[in-house]
Amino acid sequence: MATTPLAFLLDVTRCIDCRACMVACSAENNVPMDDTRIWVSGSGVLGAFPHLQRATMPYHCMHCLEPACASACPVGAWTKRDDGPVVYDSARCIGCRYCMNACPFGVPHFDWNRGVLEQPLISKCSMCAHRLDLGEQPACVQTCLTDALRFGPRDEILAEAKRRIAARPDKYIPHVYGETENGGTSYLILSNVPFEDLGLPLVPQEPVNSASEKIMRGTIPFALGWAATLSAVAVGVRLRTRGRDQTGEGGAPSGTDPDPAELPMKDGSS
Amino acid sequence: MDERRVPPSRRDFLKLGGTSLGALAVGALLPAPVAQAARLHGQVNARGDGVVHTLCEMCVWRCGVLARVRDGRVVKLDGNPDHPHSRGKLCARGQSGLMTTYDRDRVLQPLIRVGPRGGGVFRKASWEEALDLTAQKMIEIRDRFGPQAMVFSSTHNLSQTQFENLLGAYGSPNYGTQRSLCFNSMVTAFQLTYGIEEPARNYDEVEYILLVGRNLAEAISTSETGALIQALDRGAKLVYLDPRFTKTAAKASEWIPIRPGTDSAFVLAMIQVIVSEHIGDCDFARQYIVGCDDLPGAMASYTPEWAETKTGVPAETIRRIAREFAAAKRHALAHPGWRTANFVNSFQTERALATLNAVVGNVFEENGCLSALDPEASGVTLGKPPQPPYPRVSAQRLDGVPWKYPLVPLKLGVFQELRDAILSGQPYPAHGWFISRQNPVLSLPDRRRTLEALGRLDFMVNVDVIVNDTAWFADVILPEASYLERYDPLAVVEGKVFLRQPVIEPQGEARSALWIYRELGQRLGLGDYFQYADEEDYLRQQLAPLGVHLEDLKQSGFVEPRPTHPRPDRLVFGTPSGKIEVYSETLAKAGFSPWPSWEEPPAPPAGQFYLLTGKVGQHTQFATQNNAYLNKYQDEPRLWMNRTVATDRGLQDGDWVTVTSPVGSVRTQLLATEAIRPDCVYLPPGFGHLSKALRTAYGVGASDSDLHVSFVDPISGGQALSQTFVSIERG
Amino acid sequence: MIAPLRWSQLARQRPSPIVLVLGALVVTGVVVGLIRFASGIGAISNLSNSTSWGLWISLDLLCGVALGAGAFTMAAIVYILDLKEFRPILRPAILTGFLGYLMVITALLVDLGRPERIWHMLIYQNGHSVLLEVGLCVMLYTTVLALEFLPVLFERTTWQKPLRILHSITLPLVIAGVVLSTLHQSSLGSLYLIMPGTLHPLWYSPLLPVYFFLTAVAVGLAMVIFESWASARAFHRGLEIHLLGKLARAIPFVLGLYLVIRGTDLAASGELSLLVPRDVPAALFWLEVIVGVAVPIVLLSRRSVRESPKGLLVGALFVIAGLILNRFNVGLLAQSPVGGQGYLPSLGEFAISFGIISAGVLAFAFVATYFPLFEAESHGGARSSAPLPSAPPGQ
Repeated sequence: MATTPLAFLLDVTRCIDCRACMVACSAENNVPMDDTRIWVSGSGVLGAFPHLQRATMPYHCMHCLEPACASACPVGAWTKRDDGPVVYDSARCIGCRYCMNACPFGVPHFDWNRGVLEQPLISKCSMCAHRLDLGEQPACVQTCLTDALRFGPRDEILAEAKRRIAARPDKYIPHVYGETENGGTSYLILSNVPFEDLGLPLVPQEPVNSASEKIMRGTIPFALGWAATLSAVAVGVRLRTRGRDQTGEGGAPSGTDPDPAELPMKDGSS
Repeated sequence: MDERRVPPSRRDFLKLGGTSLGALAVGALLPAPVAQAARLHGQVNARGDGVVHTLCEMCVWRCGVLARVRDGRVVKLDGNPDHPHSRGKLCARGQSGLMTTYDRDRVLQPLIRVGPRGGGVFRKASWEEALDLTAQKMIEIRDRFGPQAMVFSSTHNLSQTQFENLLGAYGSPNYGTQRSLCFNSMVTAFQLTYGIEEPARNYDEVEYILLVGRNLAEAISTSETGALIQALDRGAKLVYLDPRFTKTAAKASEWIPIRPGTDSAFVLAMIQVIVSEHIGDCDFARQYIVGCDDLPGAMASYTPEWAETKTGVPAETIRRIAREFAAAKRHALAHPGWRTANFVNSFQTERALATLNAVVGNVFEENGCLSALDPEASGVTLGKPPQPPYPRVSAQRLDGVPWKYPLVPLKLGVFQELRDAILSGQPYPAHGWFISRQNPVLSLPDRRRTLEALGRLDFMVNVDVIVNDTAWFADVILPEASYLERYDPLAVVEGKVFLRQPVIEPQGEARSALWIYRELGQRLGLGDYFQYADEEDYLRQQLAPLGVHLEDLKQSGFVEPRPTHPRPDRLVFGTPSGKIEVYSETLAKAGFSPWPSWEEPPAPPAGQFYLLTGKVGQHTQFATQNNAYLNKYQDEPRLWMNRTVATDRGLQDGDWVTVTSPVGSVRTQLLATEAIRPDCVYLPPGFGHLSKALRTAYGVGASDSDLHVSFVDPISGGQALSQTFVSIERG
Repeated sequence: MIAPLRWSQLARQRPSPIVLVLGALVVTGVVVGLIRFASGIGAISNLSNSTSWGLWISLDLLCGVALGAGAFTMAAIVYILDLKEFRPILRPAILTGFLGYLMVITALLVDLGRPERIWHMLIYQNGHSVLLEVGLCVMLYTTVLALEFLPVLFERTTWQKPLRILHSITLPLVIAGVVLSTLHQSSLGSLYLIMPGTLHPLWYSPLLPVYFFLTAVAVGLAMVIFESWASARAFHRGLEIHLLGKLARAIPFVLGLYLVIRGTDLAASGELSLLVPRDVPAALFWLEVIVGVAVPIVLLSRRSVRESPKGLLVGALFVIAGLILNRFNVGLLAQSPVGGQGYLPSLGEFAISFGIISAGVLAFAFVATYFPLFEAESHGGARSSAPLPSAPPGQ
């Protein structure tokens, strides 16, 4: 297994929405018929006849450098491998779907129509990790008729993307989507239409898991500190009450329960 | 739905007795049911894992395939990097191929009809019974009515040569292919003009491309589609003529939503500009074009201003494009097209395209965008089994070739005319129809007539992998093994010889066409025409002149033998004059215009629309709608209508509408879109299946075969698929 | 030996209409739940890949946990601050909390894709995950609540030893309970820290855990008030007005602190312009703040309101309504998921939620009827059960 982080490059101008990538993915990964791990996302037909435009791209997992799913999953079912893919351990998953909520790209999806005995699971693109292990490219990349999808070490892919933008500034939006989004992803996209027209969300550079990671780091210290504080308060309050008792400041003696018959009842009730 | 066969248990295996002990030698590992051949040659190991080289059959592009097998089951198909058509890639249909092999609706045993024709009730039969019955019926027909009373049709299978062999040996002249529904106009035009059926295209150095239709992004030919996009990425310009904003239009530098039926006006005007302004390649023209001097005169009336009145495209646009095209010279390419059966005048469009390429001199041996050599002409000659000459055929062909249509090549025929002749019984009745790998019930126009014609037959036999719509009406269905389960005759592509071999053993009792034709041939007393013992023997005979061993071919999947005849070293055209016959004496003699010329197409009456057809990238015509993977990723088939027009008529996206043509009507849902001319509607092809045996495809969408009117171009025999006009009503 | 519960009398009693309705809701919920387990969540819900957390998470989990906050709040008041006068209303608060958390866990068992694997959180642990913390804390705290509630059950028996053991660990249990509650009440807010892109900026903040905690404390107190009022009505008991009034007095301080922090946070983030009520999120925000913060602060600051049962009830209801609005906003209404189509909970989802809530109400009523819920705890001895009310509950 290579340890160079690998990445996809998608050039939207080359995608013709033929869907070979989708069939290849379904076949390669034995994806059930009612599910898909890659789908066409697109602008639809933009404009009015006859001044029309249309762009499409295959949408799948971004394999983020700081994957929100891996951070969010309580049982650690998602792992980011050194060579790039974010892979799934189906033996751990409890189907809580927090990863689905955490993912800023809306990628993972769930087997909604399986009962408990049918073992529903989350699924998403795995970058064909099993093919990477054999030194092959992901199935979608290999079969892409127009070479819209390319694959390789991330730094090379990023350099290629920038080179293309520089060579044709009239053609491409001057931004490589995925370079910085969510702290950087392994699915880098070049486009001639605005990325949001393709269905790609606006995702800031700061990885989405930053705030929750900070919180989690502070949990144990906070819990210990709070427990200590509460204990101190409880002890302190009791000492003060005992002190007050000893100085005879009245009130019910501590340590005994008030007689239920003495409890004020029926105050103002109907 | 899991079709996996459970390997026999050890106990069962020993019970069988007499089986090869070699297979048991591996100890506890049991042989998985993969193709015996693949296993013996080490492509697949004893556990049933491995990779087998073969060829796709999901469309006629026939990409090379590396089929991955695990536990005796085909699990993945990848493109063969060494095949010129795949270059390591497979389109959606190619990738889905294993779901055709494992389709739950595969017919795996011979079937014989029970009950009325079209009732869809069959009983399973043995091969003996089914073949005996077929042969008996065919012999009866031959003895009573003559061999011409038996019609044979098949489309472009790799086993086509043996199909034609059966037809020829039997002695019938009636050979139906579906080509007149597809590219008759292109082939006939280029045959007459260049002397080849279809010039090869080269995108390596192209700078300016004119596509007239030829929606390469959806009518996918894997390598060519990739090459086009590569060229565009490199900076080539694409001018694309189509009444619809297709996926190719989305990649074009310029999309021209031209009025249907007027492509020839556009191209003729381009020629007029180029020759009148002398901006073509005059040297090339003088050397190679017949009628070069008179061409300007012949084109004089086809000005851009005139073309504007026909096409709706501004004259200045046409003029500019002509100049740009000419400026690119040998780096310009006007694509010959493929399915060009759009209008009766499509033949003239093709003639004009052939001329347009010629006047800029891009037709070349090397370094041109168009090749004067047929891409199928590879310089490799394969062997074949010996056979006696065919019996003489005296009867006329039912499809009017050549007695009614003198210029239509015999290999192409006029399929819609054939169907009409069966229906009418003129010039003589047909009594039987043998159909292999073809679905005329969906491909022929005017489905009602096709079904009526089937009713005229005494006997109908189909060879297919599923009970498609035509097989639904058959008397006998002979199950062909799917392409992943069979041998076929060799395929030669760009000088390389490719093998199709079984990746797994055929399921059920399905057999290869080579076997079926031979078995049938023998029962018909035509055994001398089928002198091969089995498929491998046939292949060895094919390979004999090349000095290549079949075993080596199985391992590698292909060989590249030295060409048996060298390529010519100068440009020679296969026409009578040896030159590009822009002026065609052959056409003149047959009473047609010798020049590419304008023929006014019909237009829809007020309130009606042109009914367009086309291709979708996820299907192959009518053959693949039952494939589960393709069904998963297809767009829901709906009738496209221009959004503004729809709104004006009070129609909304998703409404149910009835589409009515002069010959039939269908009901379907509407897609209101900007992506189509206001005077057009489009129905995606391939849906509206009748066969209930296609459980995935049945009931989905509507078929344009119910709507299409039959036409015949008298020159090329081509159908005119866009010349049907329809009215649309809500409901 | 368990004192006879007079099951025969129970069986002969004609259930009141309310009990019948609640019972029917429970049965409906069970049936729908069985379909969910047999055929999958998709069979009975409108959840989808773009909205994978819906009614059950917003209502049963987020609201459910917050509404059970009275347990730890009251336990802290009674045991940590040693304010024993509040003892009489401690036990019902504990029961409310305990049943509330059981309801939460039930809803989670329906919502989880693989409920049979809920124990995975004990052996597979991703320390980066807020949800892990929520899960473990909820598991542990429910155990704490069970232990805190057990005395109520045991006092109906003559077993003394268990009671003594339980009483001896009360204070550590309470401290553990407060710590666990602080952690998971705030962490339910932290769950949403990982969604800066999809949660509307009027709600998204690094201080979400603080907001969730403060509102939980406030609604915990409000729930004690509400539950006391409801029990007084249902079981013909007196209302401990002066105790509840003191609790109510704390609410404006808690909500006030919350308001100040949240307002400062919005100002500091430059998001005040979003407050202009020109779109749906702004409207939702104002609704939530007015109903859940402003009105309660105004109402419950007034002594006259705090001294009337009706005033207490109304004030408490506003706090509860505001909390529910807030949790729904954060969990659902202020979310814009990628590829999101609209989501409306299905009848099946409502059936499950209402079934669970009904079961909780019925359980509370059952315990209140047949167990010494409203008595201060005893230290042992076969204390006779509280006299049964003369009429069956609810009539």
